[in-house]
Amino acid sequence: MTAADHPAAHGRPSRLLLGRDGRKIAIGVVLIVLVVFGPKFYGMATANGRLDSTLRGAVEPRNVIVVLDFMPERFHNERIAAYGTFAGRDGALNRYRLRGVSPENLRQLAEIPWVARIEPMQ
Amino acid sequence: MSLASAPSVTAKSPGSAAGFGAALQNLTGLRILLPFAVLVAVWWAIKAGGDFPDNLLVSPLQAWNAFVHLVSHGVIAEYASTSLTVLGIAAFISLAVGVPIGFAVGVNRYAAHALEGFLRFLQGISGIAWLPLAIIWFGFSHTTTLVIVIYTLIVPILFNTMVGVRAIPESYALALRSLGASRLRLVTDVYLPGALPSIVVGLRLGMGYGWRALIAAEMLVRKGGLGDLIFGARTFGQIDRIMVGMIVIGCLYIVVDRLIIQPIENLTVARWGLLRK
Amino acid sequence: MSLRITNLRLPRLRNVGGLAWRLLPALPFALVLLVWTLGWAALHPNKATLPPVSDVIEVIWTRLRDGELPSQIAASLTRLCLGAGVGILTGVIGGFIAGLYRNVAEFLNPLVVFFNAISGIVWLPLMIGWLGIGTALAVFVIWNTVFFIVFQNTVLGVQLVPEVLEQGVRTLGGGRLETIRSVILPGALPYILTGVRSGLGFGWRALIAAELVGAPDGLGQMIFAAADYHRSDIIIAGCLIIGTIAIAMDRWLLIPIERRTIARWGLVLDTGRKS
Repeated sequence: MTAADHPAAHGRPSRLLLGRDGRKIAIGVVLIVLVVFGPKFYGMATANGRLDSTLRGAVEPRNVIVVLDFMPERFHNERIAAYGTFAGRDGALNRYRLRGVSPENLRQLAEIPWVARIEPMQ
Repeated sequence: MSLASAPSVTAKSPGSAAGFGAALQNLTGLRILLPFAVLVAVWWAIKAGGDFPDNLLVSPLQAWNAFVHLVSHGVIAEYASTSLTVLGIAAFISLAVGVPIGFAVGVNRYAAHALEGFLRFLQGISGIAWLPLAIIWFGFSHTTTLVIVIYTLIVPILFNTMVGVRAIPESYALALRSLGASRLRLVTDVYLPGALPSIVVGLRLGMGYGWRALIAAEMLVRKGGLGDLIFGARTFGQIDRIMVGMIVIGCLYIVVDRLIIQPIENLTVARWGLLRK
Repeated sequence: MSLRITNLRLPRLRNVGGLAWRLLPALPFALVLLVWTLGWAALHPNKATLPPVSDVIEVIWTRLRDGELPSQIAASLTRLCLGAGVGILTGVIGGFIAGLYRNVAEFLNPLVVFFNAISGIVWLPLMIGWLGIGTALAVFVIWNTVFFIVFQNTVLGVQLVPEVLEQGVRTLGGGRLETIRSVILPGALPYILTGVRSGLGFGWRALIAAELVGAPDGLGQMIFAAADYHRSDIIIAGCLIIGTIAIAMDRWLLIPIERRTIARWGLVLDTGRKS
């Protein structure tokens, strides 16, 4: 089909975006946004459920235990260790001891979707 | 015309198959899914029948399990997000820098002629060839991958912007000038729309090169991204992860190329593509 | 009187203008060399970061003379020829089959689009298990890249040959093979050659990437090994050679082939386009 046959050739730009090509672009952008930002939004939405009640609204660095629902890999070790001083495991491989986690880092930890929960360290 | 109504000599399927095929064509979704369903079936058959060990080939089921595992553990989301983010930033910077320079060069006949051969030469030295040098300069970091992808994208974008501007007949600009249009209006009403189809073609071509350069760079830099995922999985012989990674890479590229860039290309050509040769 | 003087001047001016025009493409290269030389003389950066032009030239010269560079180039080009040769052959044959049978083409199209999206370097981790690190791996990566591009273009070319021409040969008594040889093949050739040209471009880039990751020899391996020793001069020399080969391949191999074959069947091309 030539350029002259394209329905958009006779229309204004606003009409173009509602056509087949415009729909494709919309779907494509939505998919990419979902992949890039979806997990972050999900994590942010469910953040409160992860933090133990005693840790919410912390104003000074705390020592916490980060608990995962599965056996972690090197990938997870690296990500978690960035938020505080790693102090070994708490009995099981999926429980990390982190010392001196600032309130900001605590908030970010809570927003990670694959973290199960964050408990205070005794 | 009798010739136009003559049966097509290129379609050679026997009658019944042609009818079935015609019915299938009416369901576009099925048309896209059926070949992949057959592919998965063949894949499964090869694994089962060929008795290949797991360190060479895994079954579709194993690959699916690995996919679920990687998604629920947040691995795929982060690696895919890293790759797409680098690609997006590189595209933005390449367009922001390449298009204006391409314009500036394109309006001058001598500058365009001078730069043409140089740009072709740079395009021949693929971004990936500069990777060892980039590693020496920037280390094993995201900066390295970003620089390589920007280089890979900016050359075709610059080149195509230049070509696009050169293809605009001077009479268009002169006509608007004679009506008293300012420089700015010339750019927005003549040069930009006129060069836009060519720019988008350059972007599409650049994305084809750039996506592959990104994966290759991630394989070597190993600081996240889908290339890191599949190459790292190789070290541990996790073929299921490699295959999941490959499929994700393919799907993401198709989404970006066919659902975003190609429609943009169609729109710009339809709206302003009167000047294409 | 004045007319004569003008006539005397114009030819000379035109020659100078023409010469300047032809030399213009060399200007960016000259500028880069100039800035590079001056910059190095002024700033004296670390040789590992940016070597002087003389170092790079010396690397090229010595390695050309002791035969190392030619052998690396030969290794890379051999892989390219092998992989691209098989890729073009399989791509054209496959493309013809798919192009002639519409249902096959429509069935295969989504698969081809998908495999084209992952063509080349993406197969590397998987195929290392099958083929190990070496020439076989690189050849596979190139075949993969070239095949899908040539296949797609061949299918397009075959499908676009107007039926009118095919039927013309049929009415004159030509068989199927004759139709293919005298009508479809020439008609599809421009598209096939576009595919070959594009495929070789992608294939060369994929080869360098494959050699970077792991190969016993070749240009890609040469520049990657040099990074270990921080020999930027070897890296830059290698990159320049890679770029030169890419340009040479395109200008002196592919464009002449394209010109000769399309010019020979120019009539078919025109009719094809008009329909």
